[in-house]
Amino acid sequence: MTDIALTMRDDLGNPRFNRGNRLVGLLSRNGLLVAILAVLLYGSLASPVFFTTGNMVNVLTSMAIVGIVVVGMTFVLVVGGLADLSVPATIACGAILSLALQPMIGPVPAFILAIALAGACGLVNGLLVGYIGINPIIATLGVGTIVLGIVQAAVGGVIVYGTDPASAALVKSRVLGIPTIALIFLVIAIIGNFVLSRSFWGRWTTATGGNYNAAQASAVPVRAVKAGAFVITALCSGLSGALLGLTLQSARPLVGTGYEFSAITAVVVGGISIMGGFGSVPRAIAGLIFVQLLTNIMVLQGVRTPVQGFVLGLLIAGAVALDVALRKRGAV
Amino acid sequence: MAILSGIARYRVGLILGLTLLVASLWVPGFFGMTTLGLGLDRGASIGIIAIGLTVLLIAGQIDLSGGAVFALSGIVSIVLQPSLGIWPAAVVGVAAGAAAGVLNGILAVVFKVNSLVATLATMLIFRSIAHWVTASQPVAGIDIMFSLALAKVYFDVFTVRSALFLAAILLLHFWLTRTVPGRNLFAVGSNASAAEASGISTDRMMFLGFVFASTLAGVAGVLQSLATNTGSPVFGSELTVTVIAAVVVGGTRLEGGRGSALGTLGGVLTIAALTTAMEFQSVPAYVQQVVAGLILILLVVLDRTVRTGTRTHAAAVASA
Amino acid sequence: MSAATSALRMQGISKTFPGVKALSNVSLSVDFGRVHAIVGENGAGKSTLMKVLSGTYLPTTGTTEVGGVEVRMRKPADAQKLGIRMVHQELNLVPDLTVAENVYLGRMPRKWSLVDKAAMLRNAAAVLRELGADIDPAARLGDLSISQQQLVEIAKAYAANPRIIVLDEPTSSLSEHETAALFKILRKMKQSGIAIVYISHRLKEVLEIADDITILRDGSMIETRPASGITAAEMIRLMVGREVTNVFPKTPSTIGAPVLKVSGLGDGFSFENVSFEVRVGEILGLTGLVGAGRTEVAKTIFGLSAVTAGSIEVHGKPVTIRSPSAAMKAGIAYVPEDRKGDGIIPSMTVRENISLAVLRRLTRFGRVSMSADRKLAAKYARDLSIVPPDPERRINLLSGGNQQKAVISKWLSANPSVLILDEPTRGVDVGAKAEIHRIIGELVAAGMAVVMISSELPEVLGVSDRVVVMRDGRASPAIERRHLTEERIMALATGEETA
Repeated sequence: MTDIALTMRDDLGNPRFNRGNRLVGLLSRNGLLVAILAVLLYGSLASPVFFTTGNMVNVLTSMAIVGIVVVGMTFVLVVGGLADLSVPATIACGAILSLALQPMIGPVPAFILAIALAGACGLVNGLLVGYIGINPIIATLGVGTIVLGIVQAAVGGVIVYGTDPASAALVKSRVLGIPTIALIFLVIAIIGNFVLSRSFWGRWTTATGGNYNAAQASAVPVRAVKAGAFVITALCSGLSGALLGLTLQSARPLVGTGYEFSAITAVVVGGISIMGGFGSVPRAIAGLIFVQLLTNIMVLQGVRTPVQGFVLGLLIAGAVALDVALRKRGAV
Repeated sequence: MAILSGIARYRVGLILGLTLLVASLWVPGFFGMTTLGLGLDRGASIGIIAIGLTVLLIAGQIDLSGGAVFALSGIVSIVLQPSLGIWPAAVVGVAAGAAAGVLNGILAVVFKVNSLVATLATMLIFRSIAHWVTASQPVAGIDIMFSLALAKVYFDVFTVRSALFLAAILLLHFWLTRTVPGRNLFAVGSNASAAEASGISTDRMMFLGFVFASTLAGVAGVLQSLATNTGSPVFGSELTVTVIAAVVVGGTRLEGGRGSALGTLGGVLTIAALTTAMEFQSVPAYVQQVVAGLILILLVVLDRTVRTGTRTHAAAVASA
Repeated sequence: MSAATSALRMQGISKTFPGVKALSNVSLSVDFGRVHAIVGENGAGKSTLMKVLSGTYLPTTGTTEVGGVEVRMRKPADAQKLGIRMVHQELNLVPDLTVAENVYLGRMPRKWSLVDKAAMLRNAAAVLRELGADIDPAARLGDLSISQQQLVEIAKAYAANPRIIVLDEPTSSLSEHETAALFKILRKMKQSGIAIVYISHRLKEVLEIADDITILRDGSMIETRPASGITAAEMIRLMVGREVTNVFPKTPSTIGAPVLKVSGLGDGFSFENVSFEVRVGEILGLTGLVGAGRTEVAKTIFGLSAVTAGSIEVHGKPVTIRSPSAAMKAGIAYVPEDRKGDGIIPSMTVRENISLAVLRRLTRFGRVSMSADRKLAAKYARDLSIVPPDPERRINLLSGGNQQKAVISKWLSANPSVLILDEPTRGVDVGAKAEIHRIIGELVAAGMAVVMISSELPEVLGVSDRVVVMRDGRASPAIERRHLTEERIMALATGEETA
């Protein structure tokens, strides 16, 4: 009797992953491509500057800095870790340390050490979230505050300037007209895509986000996988921060403010559910391209920065509410 | 274990006592009336927001947008002063806070978006509006004398703001412990399905909780702006962590169902004493942030690892 | 109230879920001042009937009269207004409030619109005293023991001055002494004219307290009789009531040396001192009523919850298992009971689900070899005839039986020496069920040792070589199949017979 009842429900399947997802998939994959094309079209019509090389290089450069963070943030969302709010702190860690340590240990060791220390912050996040079970948003908010304070204290709370013009030139250089930073982003994206979509770790990440209990019962080391997502994000933002510092040749403590939101926006606009369980790096990058082009056009059209933030917030709230609403509709 | 959970239960008093002891050893004349009054006034902003957050956390929800609402309401109350006058502008500022709470409530309760994520997004939205309205510049009010009146210290200790905070915390204590909706609030946060089965409308309580939390953030913001005769889009950006830390120090549980007004008072006083002491010793702001962050993380870890009291059958089975 | 008026009269109640009839033409009449027990096997329809009675489900057909007036209850509040109160098996209490506040939750006494604490404490104390429960009404509920909480739940229902109280397995967490106290309470309620519906599968207790007994089986009402005219053995016969036919053809296999040996195992919470062994080529049935601790035993052996006492041996060597991966290394595999909750990753394909536990084996330089992955999935899709035979399909689009086959495949690919199957055929259709039994038969024929947890007695008897029956966290010795009947298992599971 109950057997049949369960079978019937099985036949309906899990609405979260078919009907709702198909709609999300449709909206996010095709819809997003259409949206990107529309933004491109609008941009080229509305602004003569939009399709110039200079502007495109600008877009690519700023996209690269956020994009590296997006790659990491994708792991956090897919594993079911909600969001990493310590990104501004780990970016500041990367930017400030990679510049401040230059005179002491040289540019390359400074670069590596800065990223490694950012990764250590991610490890703390990971331990708190994966092993102790603290809400990710509270944990990363708290750790971010601490790390930002420590980094500021370490350099005396002032703006740090670069001392090694050679490394700055390298970061700002172009290969075949493409900014080096964009190439670094491309490499990170390819690695991220490999890890998430092709490696056993990525499979574990998706499984843990899809059904934590079932993954655990399948001998997946769920705690480590969850913690790993935060380490990956911290390493990515550390790298992003270090590149940002070298590009700007100066770093203030609040250099990373706002990047967490840009990254989260890109990922959720890419159609990746905040509840975890599916998603890929290319999807997130599609979301990123859309958001970046939109922002760029707003800048070119003279829309002020706060309005851009406002639009970002609306995009996050809208994308998440849409995800929840579609799933709920599917569940009825 | 019994000792540990005893410590965990009465930790507010313990932490506050320790903080005051350290502060008095570290800062000469810490217990002078002026210092205390200053500390209390400093704590009032945190405290008024913390009152709203205490209510919301007991109901099992959270609001990260408090700092942004704080800034926005203050700006509204300053910007509208020339056209409306000081008092009406202040009322509109508070109303703006309430409206922000309605938006949070719609997202989190009606659309069932996880409240952390929902209020994260609205935090960005409110902060952006604050920048938008002010063109990212601080705006000044019309009457500096009014600010001076507001900042005046009565009976050597109280400012209007700190007196308001203390009165509100006593009211909250009364409401949480003695009124029916206050008791029902705990039921909603502790076991929503049991509350629902007993005829309590959990959704309605949570929604009102969001409105209440944002309204109080608005009150705090308006008071801050009036006291400084300034509205600034960057006001309150560091408040989120501090307020959550203060409430958690006070023994309110992030998972809902537990918390008290007096605990929050203790938490707010602890944070206020710490910041005041550190300011007297010219400890930079970022170190103060480190301390707030550390306190938050340590106590949340403590909450997760040391359980106070036994769990119900359902909870025990669920985690077994 | 005239004697002719029943407190509750349900007639021709059916409840149909899309495609399934959970209750079919059930009629029930409960008089004021009487205890009416409802008994039946797991899944006989007791909980559905209870949900109809509490207003959670609206019946598809049939009428309900309360106190002689026909009613339609659409939500729990409707039932409460009519004076029907539930005492749930899963406690519906608020751990962070006091006992008194829980008793009066949703209707606290007020004075000047404030909570009248003094009155509330006084009234709660009076109710608790009347019920003979020694509980401080000012204590925090979460600080009480489970059995005390159960009494508070009963007090909460009683304090509302109900006309009808429905109790669902109220004694499951009570000791004998506390049960006796509860029965005293129930008799007192009875005398004051309350109608009591008592749902239980503890037959001895039912015989002790009930005036009338209704037996449900497979969603239908079998019989209502006065308790004086029925024995426990008769009840068991009516509850089971099946023609025993051998629908589970058993594949012959040679039984060899012990593979898994569990001695004195306990988790300090839901079971203690559980010992059994399972041998090469053997199927050991593990059965008992829901809540007897079967799943907890399996989860503990598999490293999903902590062992607090006893030892586990695999192939004669003691093993320490703290995690599922340690269990896997020791050669133990576990197909969980809750397929949706613990079995499948719904967002992944059948292939990805099958290879999840052995991914590391398919990995070269960090990359999962797609060809090895596909080969593995194709092999099991073929061997276990998963339908549709397309491993690239997302698993939640498959039927329950095929999902189950995929979960079994996941563990077969780890080459375990012991396979623990927890309710492997729950929620699958008849055809898939036979196939799963065939697969289990083939596995043991190939030398695997299988522990099969099941509530379904014909399945247990048809498939197992030996059977362990659990009751209240304790296990009987393993009994050879030929010494067992459904009646005897039921008697062991309900405590009618002690092994």
